[in-house]
This record gives sequence, structure tokens and C-alpha cells, in this order.
Amino acid sequence: MRQILGYTVMLLRAYARDRTALFFGFFFPLLFMVLFGVLNFGGSVRVNLGMVDEAKNDQSASFIATLGKIDTLKITSGERDAQLAKLTAGDLDLVLVIPSNFRIAPAAPGSSVPTLSLFRNSARAEQGAVGGAILNSVIDQLSFAVTQTAPVVSLKSEEVTGRNLKYVDFLTPGIVGMTIMQLGISSVAFAFVADRQRGVIRRIMATSIPRRSYMAAHVLQRLILAVVQVLILLAVAVLAFKVTVVGGLPSLLAVAVLGAVVFLNLGFAVTGLLTTENQAAVATQIVTLPQMFLSGVFFSRDAVPAFLKPVADYLPLTFLNDALRAIATTGASLADVSGQIIGLVVWAILSFILAYRLFRLD
Amino acid sequence: MAPIVSVRDLRKSYGQIKAVDGVSFDVQEREIFALLGPNGAGKTTTVEILEGLRSADSGTAIVAGVDVRKDPSGVKERIGVQLQQSAFPENFLAREIVDLFALFYGRRVDSMAILRSVGLEDKAKQKQDKLSGGQRQRLSIAVALVNEPRVLFLDEPTTGLDPQARRNLWELVRAIRARGTTVFLTTHYLDEAEALCDRVAIMDAGHIVALDSPPALIEALLKRGFRKPVLQQQANLDDVFLDVTGHALRED
Repeated sequence: MRQILGYTVMLLRAYARDRTALFFGFFFPLLFMVLFGVLNFGGSVRVNLGMVDEAKNDQSASFIATLGKIDTLKITSGERDAQLAKLTAGDLDLVLVIPSNFRIAPAAPGSSVPTLSLFRNSARAEQGAVGGAILNSVIDQLSFAVTQTAPVVSLKSEEVTGRNLKYVDFLTPGIVGMTIMQLGISSVAFAFVADRQRGVIRRIMATSIPRRSYMAAHVLQRLILAVVQVLILLAVAVLAFKVTVVGGLPSLLAVAVLGAVVFLNLGFAVTGLLTTENQAAVATQIVTLPQMFLSGVFFSRDAVPAFLKPVADYLPLTFLNDALRAIATTGASLADVSGQIIGLVVWAILSFILAYRLFRLD
Repeated sequence: MAPIVSVRDLRKSYGQIKAVDGVSFDVQEREIFALLGPNGAGKTTTVEILEGLRSADSGTAIVAGVDVRKDPSGVKERIGVQLQQSAFPENFLAREIVDLFALFYGRRVDSMAILRSVGLEDKAKQKQDKLSGGQRQRLSIAVALVNEPRVLFLDEPTTGLDPQARRNLWELVRAIRARGTTVFLTTHYLDEAEALCDRVAIMDAGHIVALDSPPALIEALLKRGFRKPVLQQQANLDDVFLDVTGHALRED
């Protein structure tokens, strides 16, 4: 144990001197965050909501007034056809049609409640998702207010609607997920391929250190790095970009470490197939690049083409990003993201088997 | 006294190629012993079997009282090695490399004292990859000494070094032997083997074809009627080189 911990500490110290590793491990993800966070995309997500009021009664007016108080929504009223044309043109993100039978009252037994129709512009998935969530929560709140049920739940939805979901809020968990993926895949592939080629591993294996202690130290070092990376990224996000992290830090770190285990396993598995650093450069891109775009790092996965969705939904980074994002932006607990956690655990098992079969030290 | 390295009928094949084909020899304690031979003779394979890095197909090899084939990790604990084509991890300082390898043997050492013993105390805080070729070889010998080995294996320790650095390394090897460590080396430089070694074994095509002290081998050759048709010179180019450039060690 002293051997493993001692070696881990020495590896971390050497890492701190490695400018290339520091650049890709810390500076690079921060650069992404700054680029997308500042040049961005304007700070907060503004949702252009087109309103079509076909009821034109007091209740529809007060409903529209309630929505008008929400910062994120920019509401313009108009006729149905004109509004839908603007939606198609991309001037609006959403169009909400209030039917003529609209009223705010409990439904009489046997009769149906009035149905609001929401039209989305699929090209602006981000705004559509945010706007849709806000509308749902306002409708829920109204229902609770009228039927006098479940006041506890209405408190939570208040928080969601009251929060100004900015793009960086959405982006930060994605960057964290991406960084963990890069750490797992690239730091393993490049380091081990280079050390194998230069004969570093051969030299170490000529000492009496057991292989499992050697491997344990390398894994432990990278798990510690993953935690440090997550903490630094979150600190910069909160301090420099005023990102609000709703969920608990321990939950975020637990999910991040689980994700790091998956990607380390994948990294070791890939490394087993490689002999040169040029191969490593190609192989790491093949593994990481598709996930950068399909797993919702920078943009919502709603934008992923339909034929790729079945793949995108099961990528390890998808599970990781979805879980991190749910915890960071909506305050989900670990139980709330159990689906994603199960996905990551399955990946951890599969990738461990792969790594065990493929990885070699010599 | 029992030999510290004892090899009997050692064999190792790679497919059809018999890399080591029935090798037997002994090395006595506190000897400087060299295994010589052309490339592909089986030197490195033999040495790596003795170091516990490669498994033999048959035969026995006892190193420092441990049967290599039964307990390779036990052998690794008792020997020091310097490998061909190996390197130390990057971004470590010279002193940290010594500490790191001590840790690999589960030991704590006075790393400064070890660096001093190979003349590298003033390079302690330098990154190991910034050292010169000769300094790196000396660091690698320092590292091979961290576990106070009974046998030190050096695989072509002076390849690529300038004449000054080579002679400096010979002095270091003699000093290590004087402290009681057996030294087992391979080399392509026959003048090195002649100057440094108590006994040499010459290997060819997986066999040992000669084994004795350098003077005895030369004498046996002369007895067989060998005569070299050259003028006896009182000096050679090596002597000229060292005379005009001096014995002082060059660094960087």
C-alpha cells in the first residue's frame, strides 16, 4: 500500500511538471469554456415564444401575464398562421396556441381539460427544450394552485422556472464530461504507448514491484486528477461565469469518478491495440471525437440526427453528461439519475473486461 | 564457495531459432564477468533469463541463491540491472528517479549518497532526460544499486559513450566490485572486456565457445600457433585520443 500511494504521489508530482499534459488536462477545457461561454451565444438562453390567444378571456390574459414575468421568455402575440410562418422562418422558437375553450378551473367530471398546443422549431432544440420545460412547470403550478394539491412540489418547480438557465449552465457539465473522457482515453494511451516504446515499463518491470501495484498507482493517480479537474472546472465556472450549480458536489464527484473509471478502462483497452504514438493520436480521436458531438457536450442531444440517436443514446459520455447535467442544472439526486448510473456501471464492467483482455505492459 | 551465478544447460527457442542452446557456466562472487559475442549470439536472451525477465524453456539458472525459473521476482529483489534500450520515466528529477526505484523495491534510501557514489550529486535536481549520455548511464547504475544487489547486470553499459566517459564507467564498475558486488556485463568492446573483466565467456549461435580469463584465452590462442602479422606498437589511436583530449570527463 505504501508502495502504491508513494508511487501515486510521485506520478502526480511528475505530472505537475509536464506542460503538455497540463495544457490538455486543464488549460484546454478551460479554453473551451471561455470560448463558448464568453463569445457565446449571449449568456442566457432566450426563448422567443409566439403566443396565439384564441380564447381572449380574462383567464387567458392572466395566464399570458404570468408567463410574461419569466425573464427567459420573450413573448410576442399574433394570429395563428402568421406566428407559425415566423416559427418556420426561425424568428420564433416556440408557438403556443391557447384554445378558445381555455379556462383555469378544475375539469368537470367526464369532460376533458382544455389542451394547449405547442409548436417547436426543431432546428432550435436548445430553446425548445428550455421553453417547453418552463411552460410545463407553469402549467403544473397553475393546476396545483387551482386544485390545491401537492404544495410541496410546486415549491420545486418554482425554483426551476425562477432560474435563468444560461448557456454556460448547460455547457459546464458537458465540458466536465468531455474532460473526464479526454483524461481517461488520452492520458492512458499516450503515456503507456510512449513508456512502452522507450523501454520505461521494461525497466520498471525488472524491479520487484508487483504489476498490480504498478497499475493501481497509475489508475489512482488519474482518478485523483479527474477529481481535481472537476473541482477546478466547477470553481472557474462558478466564479468567472456565475454558473449556478444546483445539485450537490458529492453527487457530481461520485458520477465523475464513475465516468473516469469507464474511460480509464476504455483507455487501457485501446492502448492494448497500439504500438506507436502516431497510432495513439488516431485511435484516441476515433474514440473521443464522435462522443464529443453525439453525447451533448456543447449542444443538446436533440440536435443529433434521428438515425444516429440509437447509438448516441448509449454512448458512455452520453450517460455521463446527462447525469452531470441533471445534477448540476436541476439539482437531481443520485437516485434521480439512476438510469444513467446503471448505464455507466454496465459500461464500466464491459470496458473492464475489454481492458483486461487487451491491455499489455510489454 | 558456491558460485553466485550458476547456469546449467539453459535453452530458449523462438520458433525454429535456438537463441540459447545448452549454455552452462558459473560466475564466482566478486568477479567481473563478461558475456561476449556478435549480435544475435544469444547474449541478451541469456542475460534476460538470469534477470527474471524472460522464461527459459529448460535448464537451470541459480542467481544469488534463487532459482530464476521458480522465483523470478525473488531474483529481481537480489540483483541490480541496467537494460539495453530502456529509459526512465519523463519529468522526474535525477534524485526522484533514485527514490522512485527504491520505492519499487519497498526500500527507503539516502538518494544523495547513492548519487554521490556515481558522481552525480550536483545533478540531483536536474531532470533525468536533460542528463548527458554518460551521466544517464551512471544514473542508471545508481538506480541498479538502490536495492544493494548481490549481482549487478550491465547490458552494454558503454555503448555510445565517448572514450573519457567509458573509462570513467570502468572506474565505477571497479569501485562497485571493490565494495563486494559481483558484476555481470555484456559488451561489444573487446578492449573493455580485456581491461575490466576477470573472466569472459564468448557466445556464438546460442553456444558458449570459449570461457576463461582474457590472458588465458590469448595464451591458448598463441599456443595453437596463432601469430598476428603486425608490427608491435607501443601506443594505439585510443592512447593518442586520450593524450590530446585529456582524461577529464566531458559533460553535456
